[in-house]
Amino acid sequence: MDTPDNTSVENGELYGVLAEFDTPGALIKAARKVRDAGYTEFDCYSPFPVHGIDEAMGIKRTILPLLIFGGGITGLLGGCLLQWYCNASAWHWNVSGKPLWTFPITPNNVPIAFECTILLSVFTSFFGMWILNKLPQVWHPFFRLDRFAKVTDDGFFLGIEAKDKRFDLAETRRLLESAGALEVEDCNLDPDPETRRMPIWLYGFIIVSTVFALVPFALIYRARASHSKEPHYHIFSDMDFQAKVKSDTAFDMFPDGRANRGEIPGTVARGWLEDDSAYWRGLTQDQGGEWITNFPAQVQITPELMKRGQQRFNIYCAPCHGYDGRGDGMIPQRVRKAGAGALLPRNLIDPKTGVITMPNGQVFNTISNGYNTMMGYSAQIPAQDRWAIVAYVRALERAQNAAQGDVPADKWNEINGATP
Amino acid sequence: MSTEATAAAHGTGDARAAFREITHDIAWVAENPKVPKAWYGALGVGLLLLSIGGYCIYHVVMTGIGVWGNNNSVGWAWDITNFVWWIGIGHAGTLISAILYLMRQGWRTSINRAAEAMTIFAVMCAGIFPIIHTGRPWFAWWMIPHPNDMHMWPQFRSPLMWDVFAISTYATTSILFWYMGMVPDLATFRDRSKSKIRQLVYGVLALGWRGSARQWHRYERAYLILAGLSTPLVLSVHSVVSFDFATSLNPGWHTTIFPPYFVAGAIFSGFAMVMTLMIPARYLFNLKHIIKEEHIEAMCKVTLATGMMVGFSYSVEFFIAWYSGNEFEQFTFLNRASGPFWWAWLSMVSCNVLIPQFFWFKKCRTNPWIIIILCIFINIGMWFERFVIIATSLTRQWLPSTWSYYVPTKYDVGVFVGTIGLFLTLFTLFMRFLPSVAIAEVKNTLPEAHAGKEH
Amino acid sequence: MSATATATLHPDEKFKAGKAGQSLFRLGLVGFIIFIAASLIFSTSAASHYTAEDLKAAPTLSASGMGRFFYAYLIGWSWILSIALGSLLFVLIHHAVKAKWSVTTRRLAEILSSTILWIGVAGLVFVIPVLAGNKDIYYWAHPDAHFPGAPGKSGWLSPAAWAARYAFYFIIWIAIAKWFEAKSRKMDEIGDVAEEGHTKTLSARMRWLSYPMIVVYALSVNYAGYDFLMGTAPKWFSTIYSVNFFGGCMMAAYASISLFAWMLQRSGRLTRSVNAEHYQDLGKMLFAFTFFWTYTAFSQFMLIWYANVPEETVFYNYRMFSEWSTVSWILLFCQFAIPFTFLLSRWTKRILPVFVAFCIWQMLFHWVDLYWNVMPHYHWGADIHGSAVSVTGPLSGPVDNNTISFNPVDVTAWLAMLFFFVAAVGRGMRGNLIPIKDPNLGASLAHENY
Repeated sequence: MDTPDNTSVENGELYGVLAEFDTPGALIKAARKVRDAGYTEFDCYSPFPVHGIDEAMGIKRTILPLLIFGGGITGLLGGCLLQWYCNASAWHWNVSGKPLWTFPITPNNVPIAFECTILLSVFTSFFGMWILNKLPQVWHPFFRLDRFAKVTDDGFFLGIEAKDKRFDLAETRRLLESAGALEVEDCNLDPDPETRRMPIWLYGFIIVSTVFALVPFALIYRARASHSKEPHYHIFSDMDFQAKVKSDTAFDMFPDGRANRGEIPGTVARGWLEDDSAYWRGLTQDQGGEWITNFPAQVQITPELMKRGQQRFNIYCAPCHGYDGRGDGMIPQRVRKAGAGALLPRNLIDPKTGVITMPNGQVFNTISNGYNTMMGYSAQIPAQDRWAIVAYVRALERAQNAAQGDVPADKWNEINGATP
Repeated sequence: MSTEATAAAHGTGDARAAFREITHDIAWVAENPKVPKAWYGALGVGLLLLSIGGYCIYHVVMTGIGVWGNNNSVGWAWDITNFVWWIGIGHAGTLISAILYLMRQGWRTSINRAAEAMTIFAVMCAGIFPIIHTGRPWFAWWMIPHPNDMHMWPQFRSPLMWDVFAISTYATTSILFWYMGMVPDLATFRDRSKSKIRQLVYGVLALGWRGSARQWHRYERAYLILAGLSTPLVLSVHSVVSFDFATSLNPGWHTTIFPPYFVAGAIFSGFAMVMTLMIPARYLFNLKHIIKEEHIEAMCKVTLATGMMVGFSYSVEFFIAWYSGNEFEQFTFLNRASGPFWWAWLSMVSCNVLIPQFFWFKKCRTNPWIIIILCIFINIGMWFERFVIIATSLTRQWLPSTWSYYVPTKYDVGVFVGTIGLFLTLFTLFMRFLPSVAIAEVKNTLPEAHAGKEH
Repeated sequence: MSATATATLHPDEKFKAGKAGQSLFRLGLVGFIIFIAASLIFSTSAASHYTAEDLKAAPTLSASGMGRFFYAYLIGWSWILSIALGSLLFVLIHHAVKAKWSVTTRRLAEILSSTILWIGVAGLVFVIPVLAGNKDIYYWAHPDAHFPGAPGKSGWLSPAAWAARYAFYFIIWIAIAKWFEAKSRKMDEIGDVAEEGHTKTLSARMRWLSYPMIVVYALSVNYAGYDFLMGTAPKWFSTIYSVNFFGGCMMAAYASISLFAWMLQRSGRLTRSVNAEHYQDLGKMLFAFTFFWTYTAFSQFMLIWYANVPEETVFYNYRMFSEWSTVSWILLFCQFAIPFTFLLSRWTKRILPVFVAFCIWQMLFHWVDLYWNVMPHYHWGADIHGSAVSVTGPLSGPVDNNTISFNPVDVTAWLAMLFFFVAAVGRGMRGNLIPIKDPNLGASLAHENY
């Protein structure tokens, strides 16, 4: 059927002519003829690749294989670089003693390097081919001809574009007919050039949808670096919410409203028996005992103990009692300066205050449990250290209430500068 | 109706009727307003199994993999067996597509499209298992190398990471290759579409393909190269899967023949699955003159050949276990045949070594019922092979105090059944909505494709 | 993917072997005699199995370098065996898949596989000494070799059992090669019809038998690889070993068939029957099997390296940390990396001088591969405590002691085997060099690649 398919009143610009052929062989012969006649802007169309048409049309071999080779090399190097960087450079970690990297590649890195080579080659093949073929190109002028629908079924066509230098409607038609065409049909573009322009709304749609598609990423990006007073979302709660009661929290299942159940009566935690009343409490015995006057058996008075006691005194006691033990440490001074009344830590060395005559056990007890406004320090200072502090306090007292006979002879001479 | 009846000589007569017949017969599968009832049945069964599986997967992910039968020494069980089974099945598609193309076997054109689709669906089913078996699948994205605030990178030296790269490369390549092959046929569907929706969908998918010779030239080169790339890829994928086992120290797992042995086994089970699908399909959709008896017979021969390779590997492993003098290796093989899983081993050997022997006989290669039954047994046997490898080695490891047993739970079975449902659903949909036979490629194998040429 | 085009044999085509076989035979025989003599002479200066220190410490150890001769001979012999075995499978596969392109080269493969008989005879040079009690060829024949944990292995690896298997393999291979060649040549006479007393045509029979014979081939080559090559280090093992050997056989076959065709074409024969299309296909298969060899070699290496089990890694230890590491590097680049890259392109397979160069290259490095597989087992360690000497065999002793100890006998023995092979090919080269009445000859002649 040769009726022109353009039912519009006028035809638009001539795009080219389309000739239909009966067999693949006829198409090849025609292609050769057309090429020999000097045409270049022509193409053949078939439902399957016709073997032999490439030579007939003079199609040059595509550079795609070279591109793919390049893609493969990139993949290979990229795969090696990725693994080297991640496992041998940025965070090199020893996994079962295997070497971080051996030249040219460690055996255990080969599989991934291989896969990366293949993957990049595949991407280059696939996308390279479509790009070189300039597809997708959903519309082509020949689609305006009804008979062209046969090209995906059983039709063999040869189309010559009007823009070819040798194109002349009559001549070209004659050439195609003499080459054995069943039909030669003109192909005209739509008279309205607007139909070949992409509608504005489509541009708009693409832009708007792209922008919308980026919105979630933008939100995520913003959220990553944001601060909030609200607790964060637990998308995957994992072990954030656990079906257990944490210590020191409220818990209404028990009448006292606490999660902590306290100590179980009649039990003592291991290592907490502390039955040595002298060492732990400074008493000769717990019930009806008296303060011990010497040191417990576990405490040996050595220079190290004294030094330790000095150090601990200076940390814990000196702020109030002063480094000299007179009771005028930094904190009472500040209290005075701030006009907040008076804080009167006891003077430890003055015989009038009675500390000197206190038994060691009582001093120990005061350090442990506090007195008046002084808090007990048994939580912060272990028992051994408290005894060391007691020893140091005794040393301080002795030092401030010493007589000449207490000083060794060589030291006395030193102090007075007397020549021996 | 035979295409040989049409004239193939120099342009006289209606040589193109052969092409129209191919187009019509294959497009009719998708265009026929009266869909065969069996298609609805298959889709229904697929969706039912899929929903069972969907629920089971939901339960496993929300509760944890403790709902499976995996225990302390048997850390891998049905999950990994199923994973390897599905991946193996996928390999036949690539072999048919790529390797038979490189070997210029024209008969592949009737089955390659469906086989490639089968590969993609099988890989999708396979991929479910490594992801959910981790227990916290929402962290699966950590396996992709990306800068993070923990400064951590994946451990690329592990075969499990090799799996990630191999399977994703395989899935990507298969999808791209399959789609690329379909574009000319989607163009055929586009040109035959009557409804606007079909025109739009097929039109977009066909990318505007118009059969231009210049485009065919690049297309063919890309196709050849992709086929050439897919061949080592398919070898590497199942080899990497075999490395999951072979790089370990477990007796029964650590042996150098695993890579080619697994690949042969994969092709073996894959071909069996292709035949299980294609034989009913060719009857149901009237494609018997395109998917011919000779093609089925050729597939049976390939199945037999690869089955013999699998049997050969069994014998070699056994021989070297003795030859090596390694008492643990020796025990492992004796335990397979006589230990608590002897029944699994027996299934494996009878289905993989004995059953394929029936394909020596032409009668068995040409009777569709016999072929389907044999192929189903082969797939069962290949499932047992992976199960035997995993379970017998894990339940009888080095220290007798760690010896245990393994029993699957209903969630193990449910997830597996679900993947079968997924596969069936996808394949059924594919048969109906996409070109299930490579129209352009089949046409190219006809004698009419050379009509009018000078010799 | 086209329907078959056919062509006919050109009337001027020279396809008869004529006298060429006899000249080859003479050339081969002369070369063989010269190089065997040279090998025996060189072997007197060759290193013995044991290091100089061990020999000094234990005078009972044999200082003879004859073991080197046998090792070099075994390597050269395996090289020619691999060509023949690969060609045999080429023939079997050709029939099994009804291949068309390879018809014009099939007779060449048949001739190459017909040499198996002679290779079997040549092997007696080391088989008979082993049977006669020689302890210097295979360590398992040494009284100090024992295999705890493998009951019956000493029996399996005993001279009598091993020699019986040797005979068994060669009887099978000779039978297969002879039968297929005979039927193929018969077809030259009577065409593709049924012989008297048979209902199937010749090609149908050859195809029908090729399938079970492939199975028999696979099993026999597998265990032959274990027996001849892997057995040189009898305490080591690898299930994929013979699959790797098989890959090498196929590489050697495709390269050799191509070289054979090229050499015949230089003499004016088969100039039109084997063209760039066939060379491209032979090249594609060479490429494919180069890749397959690499794949199996890498699988073996990587798995053993990764699991790091000492009884397995010992094989690679001695090849990575001694002088052999150089050869290992050479193998990696020259047997895999370079051929792989160059054979990727279709042009290197179609331009004959380039392709022929690669075939020669692959044959050379295939020998290097076999050399690398066997010769590091030449140095045997020994446990010497005073007068108690126990030979611990290959892959034992300090790794550094495993020097290459190259001796010209390594090469002359190989050349001797090469010339022997040439002579055997000459014996087989008679009659038609292409199967002139094969029904697919036309398709093969018209064969075109993508």
